[in-house]
Amino acid sequence: MPTITLDAISKQYSRQATAVQNIDLHIKSGDFMCLLGPSGCGKTTMLRMIAGLEHLSQGRLFIGDQLMDSPADGCFVSPEKRGLGLVFQSYALWPHMTVEQNIEFGLRLRKLSERERRTRTGEVMDKLGIAGYAKRYPSQLSGGQQQRVALARMMVLKPKVLLLDEPLSNLDASLRLEMRAELKRLHQAFDTTILFVTHDQWEAMTLATTIAVMSKGHLQQVGSPDDIYARPANRFVAEFIGNPPINQIAADSMLGSRLNNQPDTHMLGIRPEDIHLAQAATPYALPAKVQGIMPTGGSWVLDLETEGQCLQLSTQIRPQVQAGEHTFCQIQPEHLHLFDTDGHRLENTRYGQAGIIRNNVSTTTYMHAV
Amino acid sequence: MVGWITSALPSKRGLQLSLKNPATLLGIGLLTTFSYLILAPVISILMDAVNVNFGDSTRIGAEQGSFTFYYLERVFTSPISKRLFWQPLLNTLSVAIGAMCIAMVVGGIMAWLLSRTNLWGRGWFATALIVPFMLPTWTFALAWTTLFKNRSMGGQPGWLESMGYSSPDWLAYGPVPMIFILALHYIPLVILLFGNALRRLDSQLEDSARILGASRSTVAFRIILPLMRPALMSAMVLILADGLGEFAVPYILGLPVQYDTLSTSLFRAISSRQTGVASVLAGAIMVLGCITLTIDLYLMREARRFVTLGGKGAMERRRPLGVWRLPATLLAASLFIIGVVLPLLTLFLSTIMRIPGRFHLNNFTLDYWIGTNLNTIALKNGILLTPEFWSATWNSLRIVGTASICAGLLGLLVGYVVTRTPWRWLASSLRQLTFMPYLVPGIAFAAATLSLFAVQRGPVPALYGTSMILMLALIADQMPFASRAGISAMTQLGKEPEEAAQISGASWLRRMWSIIVPIQKGALVVGIVLPFISGIKGVSLFIILAVPATEVLTTYSLRLVDYNYTQAANAVVLMIAMLAWGGTILTQKLTKTGLAQGLES
Repeated sequence: MPTITLDAISKQYSRQATAVQNIDLHIKSGDFMCLLGPSGCGKTTMLRMIAGLEHLSQGRLFIGDQLMDSPADGCFVSPEKRGLGLVFQSYALWPHMTVEQNIEFGLRLRKLSERERRTRTGEVMDKLGIAGYAKRYPSQLSGGQQQRVALARMMVLKPKVLLLDEPLSNLDASLRLEMRAELKRLHQAFDTTILFVTHDQWEAMTLATTIAVMSKGHLQQVGSPDDIYARPANRFVAEFIGNPPINQIAADSMLGSRLNNQPDTHMLGIRPEDIHLAQAATPYALPAKVQGIMPTGGSWVLDLETEGQCLQLSTQIRPQVQAGEHTFCQIQPEHLHLFDTDGHRLENTRYGQAGIIRNNVSTTTYMHAV
Repeated sequence: MVGWITSALPSKRGLQLSLKNPATLLGIGLLTTFSYLILAPVISILMDAVNVNFGDSTRIGAEQGSFTFYYLERVFTSPISKRLFWQPLLNTLSVAIGAMCIAMVVGGIMAWLLSRTNLWGRGWFATALIVPFMLPTWTFALAWTTLFKNRSMGGQPGWLESMGYSSPDWLAYGPVPMIFILALHYIPLVILLFGNALRRLDSQLEDSARILGASRSTVAFRIILPLMRPALMSAMVLILADGLGEFAVPYILGLPVQYDTLSTSLFRAISSRQTGVASVLAGAIMVLGCITLTIDLYLMREARRFVTLGGKGAMERRRPLGVWRLPATLLAASLFIIGVVLPLLTLFLSTIMRIPGRFHLNNFTLDYWIGTNLNTIALKNGILLTPEFWSATWNSLRIVGTASICAGLLGLLVGYVVTRTPWRWLASSLRQLTFMPYLVPGIAFAAATLSLFAVQRGPVPALYGTSMILMLALIADQMPFASRAGISAMTQLGKEPEEAAQISGASWLRRMWSIIVPIQKGALVVGIVLPFISGIKGVSLFIILAVPATEVLTTYSLRLVDYNYTQAANAVVLMIAMLAWGGTILTQKLTKTGLAQGLES
C-alpha cells in the first residue's frame, strides 16, 4: 500500500492569494490521517491537490514511489489516472442515476463484465448497508444514506487511498456518531489509507490516528490526537483544540507573574479542566470570584475572576458554589503550557512534562511531592 | 535570484496546463465562433456606415471602400435626414413612450389588484392576463386592421367599413393604434415584473411603518413606492428597449400612412439597397438599445440590493376591495376581453367569412382553410391545402428548430466554460460576447448579418438566400437567453458531480456525455424551447434575411397581408399564435415554473 509524500508543496492562486505554503507531510500507508484547521486554512486545497483536482504551484507530490505532480519536472498525472477515491462534502451523487448506477459507474469505465460488476456492487452495498436502496435515486435518500452511497461509489473501485472532505459535517448529531463508528470500521475492513479533512476538532480527535493541524496555509503540528492535545506545539494549536478553549494568561500580568517561573515565557496557558475549585487556601490556590455557572449537561463551566483575570474552569463534579460567591481555585504549575514571544511552545522544564503525568498522579500526591 | 526563477515558473506551467484543460480549449473555440457570429457582423455594419459602399463611388466621388462621412451626413444632417432619421426617431420614441405610459398605468393597477387585493378570480386572471405576451405583436395589428381598415387602402375593407361606418385614418392607422396595440402587448410584462416585486415586498416593512403611526397613504408613498421604484423603472426601460426594435406593428399599421419608425426606415433603406444609410440607421438603433439596456442593468443591480433587504415576512396580504370589488373585477375582465378574446376571435371569424363584417349564416365558410378551386388569382386553395403554407411551416420548424437546438447546446457549453475555465478573462469575455445581441434590436442585427454574409469573404461563400444565414443570425440572436440559461444551470450544478466522475476515472468526453448533459437535460430543454418560441413568432430577422426559397410562416403571412389575402394571412397568424402559446404552456408544464421567473433570470 502506498504512502503519500508531500515534498515542500505550495499553492498560489494569484500573486496575493497563497492557499498552501511549503508543506512537508508524510502519510503512512494504512494511516487514518486528519487535516484539521479553521475554514480557509488550505486543508481542502491540500486534499484537492492530492486528488489532482488542483495543480501544485511548487513542490513534489508522490503517491507510493510514483511522482504525481511536480511543476519543476513538468509532471502532472491527471485525477482519473491516480487511482484514488474522493468523497465530497456535498456527496456529489449523480442525480440522474440510481444508487446502483452511481456505484457501478466506475466499474463500467473499467470495462468489467456485467457479472463482475454485479458482484462487486452487491458486495460493497452489503458492507455499507444500502443494498435495500439499489433502485432508488439519490434524491429519495436521507443524508446518511447518501453519504454511504458516496462512500460505496469510491470503495467499489478499491482505491489505494481514500480522501474524505468534511465527511460528517452534513449529518445530524446521532448520524454523526453512527457514521464515525462506520468509518473506523471501514478503515479496518477495507484496509486503505484514509486522509480526511475537517474543521471540527471533535471529529478529528475521535476518528484520526494522526492529526495534522493547519492554519493559514501552514502546517502547525503533526501528531497523535493525545499528543496534540497534551503538548500543543504553539499557541494556535493550543487555542484551536479544546472546548471550552484554553485559558491564556499574559506572563507579565499579575496572575501570570505569580504562576510563571521560567524566563522567556510570554504567555501561559491552562486548560479549563486543569483548574480545580478548592474549599480554602491550599498550596497553589488563588482567591477567585464566581461570575457565572453554565451547566452543559454532565459537566459545568464556571467563569471565574482571579487577580483581575477571567478564567474558565470546567468540571465534571457539580460545583458547590453560587454565582457571585467567593471561593478558591487551584492551578498546578505542571499543567501550565508555556509559549514564547513567537507563540512557540517552551518545555515546562521545572515541573516535568505537562500532561504526561497528570493522568496518573493524583493532585494531592503530586502536591506533597512538591 | 532563486525567487525570481520560481515565481516565473508557475505562469508558464499554468499556460501549459490550461491548454490541456478541455474547458479552456472549448472556450477558445467558442470565443472564435461567437466573434465571427456576433462581433464580426456588428463591426462589419459599423464599417459600412463610414466606408463608401458598392455603387456609391461616383455619387460620393471617392473610391469604393474609402472612408467617408457621406452616410452619416445624409442620415443626420442632410435635407433628407428629417425623413430618414429624425421624424422616424420622433415617431419611434412617441410610440414607445406612449405605449410604455399606458402599459405602466394599466399594468401597475392590474399588478396591484392581482397581488394585493381580494379580486374575484385572481388566480385565473393572473394567468389569463399574461396571454397577450405570448402572442406575436402583429396578431393584434392584423386584428386591428380587420376591424378598422378603411377606404384609404385597397383590398378587403374592415368590418366597420363594411357595416357602413368609415373609420377615420387616425383610428385605422398610425400612432394611435400602434400605441394601443403595443400597450396591450406590454401590460403583461408590467404585471409580471411589478407583481413579482410587490409579492416579494416584506409586509413587515409596511407593518413597522403602520406601528410607528404612518397612515395608509404615507405607507404607500413613503415605503412601498420607493421600494418598488427599481422594478418600475426596469419595466419602463425594458418596454422602451423592446419598443425601439419593434418592426411588425409599424410595418402593418404605420407604412400605409407613411408613419415611419426607425425600424421601418431601416427596412426601406435595405429594400432600396441604400446599404450605407441602412448601416447608419442600424448603428443608431444599436446605440439607442445599448443606452436603454445599460440603464436597465444598472437598475437591476439596484433592485437586487433592495431584494436582499426583504426577509421571510413576505406574507401575502390581501386588501378587501369592498364596493370596488365588482368594478375592479370587471376592469380585469374587460382587459382580458380586449387583449385576448377580441383580437383572437376577430382573426378567427375573419378567416371564416367571405365578406368582412357581415354576420349572415351564408357568409360563413371554411373555404379559406380547406376550400379548393377558389375564385382567386394566386391562392386557389384554402390555406391548409396550399403547398406554400406547408413549405413555410416546414421552413419555420426546420430553420428555427435547428437554430434553437444549436443555441441551446452552445448555451450549455458556454455555461460549462464560464464555470470551469481557470482563465477569468475567457469566462467574462464569453459571457459578455454572448450577451451582446441583447443590446442590438433584431432588425439592426439582421442588417448587420446581411452586411457580413451577403458577399463572399475569404473561405466563407456568400450566404444570402440560404437558410444557413437565417440559422446563423437566429443562433446569434438567441445566444443571450441560451447562454444565460446555460450559465445559471452550470453554476447551480457546481463542479463536484463532474469531479467525482473524474476521480472514478472518466475521460472528458465521457463526463460530458454521461454526467453533465443528462443532469442538465431539463435546462437544455428550456434553453431550446424558449428560443424556439421567440424564433417562431419573430419577424425582424426574417423580413430582412429570408428570400422566397426560405420563406417562413411569419414572412409568408406578411406577404399575404401585402397581397391583401386577409383571410389567409389571418389564418397563418392564428397558427403562429397557437404554436407560440402552446409552446409556452408546454415549457411551463415541463419546467414547473411560471413565465415570471423565466423573464427575470
